[in-house]
Amino acid sequence: MSALNDGSSSPRSQVTIEQRASRCFDDLLESIIVDVASECHRIARLGLDLNLEVEEEELRLSAQARMADPSCSSESNSKNVVDIFGQTHPPIASETFNCMNCGRPVTAGRFAPHLEKCMGKGRKALTKITRSTTIARNRHARGSPVTVYAPYSTSTNSNIVPEGTPRTAREEFAEYTFEEP
Amino acid sequence: MENFAHVDELNLVLQLIESGEKEKLMELLRERLIECGWRDEMRALCRAYAKKKGRNNVTVDDLVHVITPKGREKSCISVTSNFAISTSASSVPDSVKAELLLRIQSFLKSVPLDAL
Repeated sequence: MSALNDGSSSPRSQVTIEQRASRCFDDLLESIIVDVASECHRIARLGLDLNLEVEEEELRLSAQARMADPSCSSESNSKNVVDIFGQTHPPIASETFNCMNCGRPVTAGRFAPHLEKCMGKGRKALTKITRSTTIARNRHARGSPVTVYAPYSTSTNSNIVPEGTPRTAREEFAEYTFEEP
Repeated sequence: MENFAHVDELNLVLQLIESGEKEKLMELLRERLIECGWRDEMRALCRAYAKKKGRNNVTVDDLVHVITPKGREKSCISVTSNFAISTSASSVPDSVKAELLLRIQSFLKSVPLDAL
């Protein structure tokens, strides 16, 4: 079918053009219909539309379920909260395992404080520093209100400060590093 | 004749896609349908259907059938001897349809088709 410019073509091919254009249009429209349908489907399934009646009904149902439940709501019974699988957990975790740092058995609920001590003492590099940190801490307890990031800053301190400097100078450095942002 | 028409149809589709015209036509149609409120009407229909049937019971297929009116007789690229230019969705405004058809026809006329 050669290029046709205007009505000079035969009526049959003219009809064919209209017909084909129509089919083409239908094709485009179908794609758009599928787009809209799938979007609406998604909104319906995810409950994203502001469908008040349905939401109200769901609220009502959930309120009923809550009333019917004998173990009450979480506000009144906060110690034994029931999760979505129906399990209850004690407020303090009681499971025991071995600390991966020192290898000692430890209770889960006491793990964080254990780590505080465990990791603070577990390194050889810090055994030297702990003395100066306790001294620095005491100094700070008397003096400035700056919080003590003792192990880390003093360890870097010990790298910067050359050997042979008196202890007091090192502590001075410690103070100045705390003030830096 | 039907075979040729089928090849011709495929050829047309290919030409549309390759020239980028299909994408432009699609965008134009989408824009017009949004402007005239057709899309919102269809979404309202879907929402009503979903409400009636239950939110989790609808399928995409259902919704497509909700939107596509029963008057539609042919699927996307099928060769029929149907000469009637039937409306494929009842509420697409005539002006929108006319504009798109005009554009498609001018594309068909401007591009030489190698089949046949």
